[in-house]
This record gives sequence, C-alpha cells and structure tokens, in this order.
Amino acid sequence: MAAPRSNREFIEACVKSGDAVRIKQEVDWENEAGAIVRRACELAAPAPFMEKIKDYPGFSYFGAPLSTYRRMAISMGMDPASSLPEIGKEYVKRTNGEPVAPVLVDRKDAPCKENILKGADVDLCKLPVPLVHEGDGGRYVGTWHAVVTKHPVRGDVNWGMYRQMMFDSRTMSGAVFPFSDLGKALTDYYLPRGETCPFATAIGLSPLAAMAACAPSPIPEPELTGMLAGEPVRLVKCETNDLEVPADAEIILEGEICPDYKVEEGPFGEYTGYRTSPRDFRVTFRVNCITYRNNATMTISNMGVPQDEGQLLRSFSLGLELEKLLKSQGIPVTGVYMHPRSTHHMMIVGVKPTYSGVAQQIGQLAFGSKLGPWFHMVMVVDDKTDIYNWDEVYHAFCTRCHPANGIHIYRNSPGTPLYPFATPHERKYSIGSKVVFDCLWPVDWDPVNDVPTVVSFKNVYPKEVQEKVMNNWTAYGYPPVK
Amino acid sequence: MNQWEVYVNDVKELAEDAEIELTIRTLNPGIHKFTYKRVRAQLSSDLKKHADQLQVRLGRGQLSPSRFSIKVLGEIQRMPAKYL
Ligand SMILES: Cc1cc2nc3c(=O)[nH]c(=O)nc-3n(C[C@H](O)[C@H](O)[C@H](O)COP(=O)(O)O)c2cc1C
Repeated sequence: MAAPRSNREFIEACVKSGDAVRIKQEVDWENEAGAIVRRACELAAPAPFMEKIKDYPGFSYFGAPLSTYRRMAISMGMDPASSLPEIGKEYVKRTNGEPVAPVLVDRKDAPCKENILKGADVDLCKLPVPLVHEGDGGRYVGTWHAVVTKHPVRGDVNWGMYRQMMFDSRTMSGAVFPFSDLGKALTDYYLPRGETCPFATAIGLSPLAAMAACAPSPIPEPELTGMLAGEPVRLVKCETNDLEVPADAEIILEGEICPDYKVEEGPFGEYTGYRTSPRDFRVTFRVNCITYRNNATMTISNMGVPQDEGQLLRSFSLGLELEKLLKSQGIPVTGVYMHPRSTHHMMIVGVKPTYSGVAQQIGQLAFGSKLGPWFHMVMVVDDKTDIYNWDEVYHAFCTRCHPANGIHIYRNSPGTPLYPFATPHERKYSIGSKVVFDCLWPVDWDPVNDVPTVVSFKNVYPKEVQEKVMNNWTAYGYPPVK
Repeated sequence: MNQWEVYVNDVKELAEDAEIELTIRTLNPGIHKFTYKRVRAQLSSDLKKHADQLQVRLGRGQLSPSRFSIKVLGEIQRMPAKYL
C-alpha cells in the first residue's frame, strides 16, 4: 500500500478501512465540530469527516487525523494493524536514508490554486475557521498545518506546526516558541532589523507532510516528507512571495510576519490536557492572499486530555528522534518510548547499564538537545524492562529509583509556557526544570549478593516448569490466556 | 444592539464610566463572529445605560458572571500604517 499523497487520499483510505466516518448532517463551526473531534479523540474513535458545515457550503472538516496508531500506520502506507514498534522501526528506517528533494510543479498542476483571493477579497472568515473549544481566545485557523518560511541567510526551508488564531479578517496571532526554528529566525534576524518575514500557511496537508512539520528532526521538512513517503513532495510557487508550498494542500494563506505589530493570542486548549499558557502578545501574521482547492477540507486537531495527535504523534517522533540522538553518541540504549498519556512529558529510556552515571548522561543529552524543552522527565530503566509495558516500568520506578540518590533535578532549563505545573513567572518566560529518574541498579553493587532478584513467573522458574505450567493452564481449569 | 466579549485577568480592569481601551470581539451571529477590534469604549454595570452589551471572560476562558453595557467610541488602529 502506497502512502497517501494528499489529505484527500488519506481520508479515502481511512474511510475504506473504517478509520474515518463520513458525517453528512450539518455541523456548526462554533463548538460542535470541535466537540465531535474531542470526543473522537477521547474514545479513540474513527476520524470525523464532516461534509457539511454551517455557513460554509462547499467546505468540509477532517478532524483528529493522526490520533490513533492505526491512522498513523495508514499514513505511512502500512497495514493499519501494525504495532507501534513496527511503525517506529519503519519511521527510523525511512528517516535514516538519503533526503528526497521536492519537485516544483506548474501552477496549472497545483490543485491548491483552484481559487485565489487577493487584495480586498482576502477575508479569513470566508474559510470555515472553527471555534475549537468553548472559551478559546479565538477561532483557530492553524491547528493541523505547516507554517512555511525560509531562513533569510542560510536559505533553508522550515515547515513548522505553530498554532494560529484568527484575530481579524486579515490578521492571525500565533504561538511560535523562541526555541523553535522559526522562533530563532525571528529573534536572531527579523525582530532586530524590524523586517517582515514572508510566510505561507498550508492547511490540509498530506499526513506525512503534517508529520514532518511537527517532527523535531534536523532534516528540512520537504526532504523529510519525501523520505517518509518514498517519493518527492510536489511544491508550487506562492502567488505573492517566493516561498513554495505543497501543491496538493487544501488551503494556503500567504503573507508576512510583522515584527512591530502585536495582537493578543490565546488562551487555547493544549496538548497537556489544560488551557495553561496565558493570553499574551505573540507573533502576528498578516495575510495577503488565500488560495484553496474546490471543496476544500480544513483539518482540525483538537488538543486536550489524551489522546490526540499532539500527544500521540509528538510522543512518537520525540521518542524516536531521541533514540537516534543517543545512539549517535554511542550510548548503549535498547529503546526509547514516550507514552502518549504522559502528554509527551516523560521519556522512558531502556539501556544496558554497563557504566556508572549513564542515566544522568542520557538525561543531560536529552534535556540539552533541541528536543529538550518539550518534556521534563526522563526515566531510565535497564534493558530487561519492557519500555512499552507501563506496569513493568512503573514497578521498576517504584522499586529501583533511590529517593535520595536516583532522582536528579536540573533547574532553570528551557521550558514552554504550556507546562501546567510551572509558576506564572516560569510560564511567562518559558523557564523549565527537569528531572531524571534513575531506575538502574548501581554498577558498584555486587550483581550476585546486592542486586535483588526479580520475582516473576518468567524470571524465577526454570524454562521447563514455565512451559509445563503454560501447557497445562487450561487443564488446571483456567480459561485460555489471550 | 451589538454583543461583545472581552478577556481580562481581573474584572477590576474594567473601569466604569471612564474612557478605556479594550480589545473586544464580536458575538454577533454570522461568519465574522469572534473577530477582534481594539477600541476606545465606555462601560457601565447598568445594562440599560448603553445599547451594546459586553460579556467577560477570564484568563483561561472562564465566563465571568459580570455583565456590562458598552458604548464603543471609536476604533484604535494598532497596526503600523505601512501594513494597511
Ligand atoms: C497539533 C500540534 C500543535 C503544535 N503547536 C505548536 C505551537 O503552537 N507552537 C510551537 O512552537 N510548537 C507547536 N507544536 C510543536 C511543533 O510543531 C514542533 O516543535 C515542530 O518540531 C516545530 O518545528 P521546529 O522546532 O523545527 O521549528 C505543535 C505540534 C502539534 C502536533
């Protein structure tokens, strides 16, 4: 099965496999669509494809695009029943290959140019921008999208998923954190010079382009999308600036980021499961042109309590990118997993504990990397603990992590305004703190006399006894074990 | 009559019977619902004093029980002229 090349192909594949439902009745853009997406996330239900939107004939919504591992497998062109480790292995394999350069197509071959609004016709309210959660500071245009920019000096292209709120018909305000690629380009270059930064927002991307836009990978996103898809992504020139955007996207907004014009943004429901970050003056985007496909579909991610793509996909890519980083440094890791229910706050790292201090070394690398601001807990367990099995990890944590020697705290590290536990001051200035939970037996303990023995069925009984008991299990009178 | 909404951290920020600056959004039905303006306005807790009505949300989106009538005196353009 080939990876879907567009949001449309993805919806079709999901409907076919039972991973999306077509909703034919009219849905209100104010709260109702958001509530459907939220409930679908909380129930891990099929993604809603809402075909009729109040006030917006001809437009549709696709919600919760990647909030299940089944849909993530479909997006990669894999069997929907693939397990998480299988999807992870495939992601690592594809993203370790050669970058796949995008191709530029002619305007006439770019569906995103089917309708073009310029000048006085530009009005974001002509698009079905949803009020995702009751009480949000605004209608959010960008919840599952890519903000396309080009570095002014190096010229490298960045696609980042940074939320964008509609402030008025031509203005959006967005949360671009200072440690992100765009945040750094703004603070290093555009803000000090007072120059505007051209941008384009692409909505309704192929699922792999969206995955690339929120992956913390050092590979430029157009190339990363190509690597994930196994073929080049099709790009087309913008109408009003020299950026290039995915030709098959549903909606494109073109404009400029204004360094000297600030409007309020937020509050908004966030991936932590709370509305945490304060309403604030963030980054202002001025829209000069809108292009869109006929019968355009707007994508909606509704972040809140687990689980949505904010948790599922980010946990997935943060974990795998950390695994690549640790391996590149020669750390004897056996796996890295972030449970989506941790709202991507806890990295669980399996390691062969062959030398002292390896847990702290892992924590320092993880927190010191580009990935670091997004999580604050690293739990290090040995290679015999199944990192995907929370019962085993939790048991290791509660029994092996020494309360005085095994918990290492780092203060004043990079954070985000989104951390629910952070003080108001810490949120305002993105100040974080971090903790490593070292759940390894110390290497200076005698492995025979000091290290406790795990008392479990699989660890203490001889193989033949285990097999005998398993083979006789139903004969003893138990129902079969699935 | 127009319906408006404002976000504040504390309702005390909403001084009555004085000219104040506010960022308000329209709650009038239609496709422009929830778009914002920066305005000069006068408020009153007497809901009959001005024709337009204002409801209030707090820092994390909670709806406040406080209600005001509002008179919008004029729009403030915060955007530098070069972007107009
Ligand atoms: C649904 C969703 C919404 C996100 N919203 C934001 C956001 O508002 N601001 C932000 O800085 N990152 C946000 N992120 C995370 C970024 O997309 C992610 O850090 C990405 O790697 C940004 O790229 P960069 O760090 O290379 O710039 C979001 C991720 C997802 C999945």
